[in-house]
Amino acid sequence: MEMTNLYQSLNLILPELVLSAVLVILVAADLIYHNNKAPVKFVALSGIVVSFFFLLFNFDNSGFAFTFGNTIRNFGLVTVDNFGHFFKLIVLISSFFVVIFSFSSIELKEAENRIGEYFALIYGMIIGMFFMISASDLILVYLSMELLSLSSYVLAGFLKLRERNSEASLKYLIYGAVSSGLMLFGISILYGMTGSTNLYVINSLIQGPNINLLTLSFALILIFAGIGYKISSAPFHFWTPDVYEGAPVTITAFLSVASKAAGFALLIRFIKTTFVSYTDANGAWNLINVFDWQSVLIAISILTMTLGNFSALWQDNMKRMLAYSSIAHAGYMMLGILVLSNQGLLAVLIYFAFYLLMNLGAFLVVMLIANKIGTEDINSYNGLGYTSPFLSVSLAIFLVSLTGIPPTAGFIGKLYLFIALVDAKMIAVAVIALLNTVVSLYYYIRVLKHMYLIKTEPDTPVIKPNFIETLIVLALAVPVILFGIYFQPVVDFAKSCLVILGM
Amino acid sequence: MLLDYLPIFLVLAFSVIVSLAIVFSSRLFGPYRPNKIKNLSYESGKDPVGSTHERISVKYYLVAMLFIIFDIEVIYVYPWAVEFRNMFHSNGLFAFMPMFIFLIVLELGYLYILMKGGLKWD
Repeated sequence: MEMTNLYQSLNLILPELVLSAVLVILVAADLIYHNNKAPVKFVALSGIVVSFFFLLFNFDNSGFAFTFGNTIRNFGLVTVDNFGHFFKLIVLISSFFVVIFSFSSIELKEAENRIGEYFALIYGMIIGMFFMISASDLILVYLSMELLSLSSYVLAGFLKLRERNSEASLKYLIYGAVSSGLMLFGISILYGMTGSTNLYVINSLIQGPNINLLTLSFALILIFAGIGYKISSAPFHFWTPDVYEGAPVTITAFLSVASKAAGFALLIRFIKTTFVSYTDANGAWNLINVFDWQSVLIAISILTMTLGNFSALWQDNMKRMLAYSSIAHAGYMMLGILVLSNQGLLAVLIYFAFYLLMNLGAFLVVMLIANKIGTEDINSYNGLGYTSPFLSVSLAIFLVSLTGIPPTAGFIGKLYLFIALVDAKMIAVAVIALLNTVVSLYYYIRVLKHMYLIKTEPDTPVIKPNFIETLIVLALAVPVILFGIYFQPVVDFAKSCLVILGM
Repeated sequence: MLLDYLPIFLVLAFSVIVSLAIVFSSRLFGPYRPNKIKNLSYESGKDPVGSTHERISVKYYLVAMLFIIFDIEVIYVYPWAVEFRNMFHSNGLFAFMPMFIFLIVLELGYLYILMKGGLKWD
């Protein structure tokens, strides 16, 4: 590899380099500060802020990093483009919130002396997600996914003395091992058929005549098993409720937003760079005629949201309910991909920006309530609406937004998804998605019923968040309302992030 | 051509000859006073016959895992060292950089294990 190339490549992945450096500093800081962990927390938070600024400075920078010098087309291991920047922003913002959540989590207090490891592992997850978002080579895809998975297995069972935590971690590990094994098998078949691991090279090779379509479909379904496990789509979702319920709330929130964002970014980039021959003037993606992604995605999307919504109806545990709701949301977001056009992609980006706010917010309020009453059972929320009005109103905003009712951001997200569907003349799919939204109304509003329609009893706890917690809840709740009314800036920003570098 | 595989066969033959030579020469020249324990097959100090359902201390796995980390370090350093002369000619002192960063990170990990008490046996 030539040196100029290396310097350019390193320049393109500056945010990742900063994160890696902070990870090393965190481990060192954890060793230096034995008793007082405040400096470690400070490093963890400021590292995210610093890499955030590096990401913003790098925003106009795009190109292929770590290219192979001898090929004609210089496609590299890492593709840096605006699409990737958008998802990296989502990941960074959600990790910023998750790190702040962690400061006020009571659960994590019992592992205060290991909190350095906790943040180091979160950084491991962030780095893994960053590379997953911009990976354009199957080897890097697999590697970054493993980096993300291994860190999250440990974090899911971080409070190892709690039985629920260990159970979550073990289940996550077993499901993860199986699905990443399947994915690796699929990758090996794809490599065997094309002789390349680079997505761009595979794109040009599968247009050739000597491709056995049956084998290719087999490989793609196996690869989809790996990605589908990360975004918890239907046939691969079984780990989600158990892990989300068992893991610490902060990690659950992180898994449900950031990890899912990285999985979606990978899925979109995989489909776009590997299977789209060209994008026409209207922004529709023309698939290479080897594998019918559209039908597969329609089936999986409908299955995912229906299964998620109907299972959520019976849940009494808030975290479990939100887990099934996040499965359903994965189904909604897949609607944007199956349209296979820039318009659909725009809808996914907008939806993710809003999903970040409302889902993180819901988990944050659940955590603050659990800090006080020690449980996430919906029945223990009875009468909270009168004793703790601030948290209850915020939770109501987040849940209403998750349903997708007008004055909130969630509505705008769903609106763009449905418009994209209708424009692509997929009315039937849109109707099924709409009916699903109606079903989801029941279990979201049920929480409100417990909070507001059941009388306060003398032993109903009074929950007063402290100043910083109030500030964070506001920082999430106000935009949810604000973007529900004035959403143009987000839409404009998402429009500038549709660029996926390709042929 | 089958002849292309000749070096592999040579290596195989060499290893067979050498191992046989070692076994028999030690019998030939060395003192031979067998007893029951000496005649057990070698299993890293464990009793080779008995129940397999034994508990092994979890510390054993930890040390074994740490050993693998440093084993892998050698695997990375070795090709770098072999190729170092060429890299030094073309890149100068920059050739040190990747391995330097790698070793710093690795040694930090070692320091972490050491200071967190990962190598304490009791």
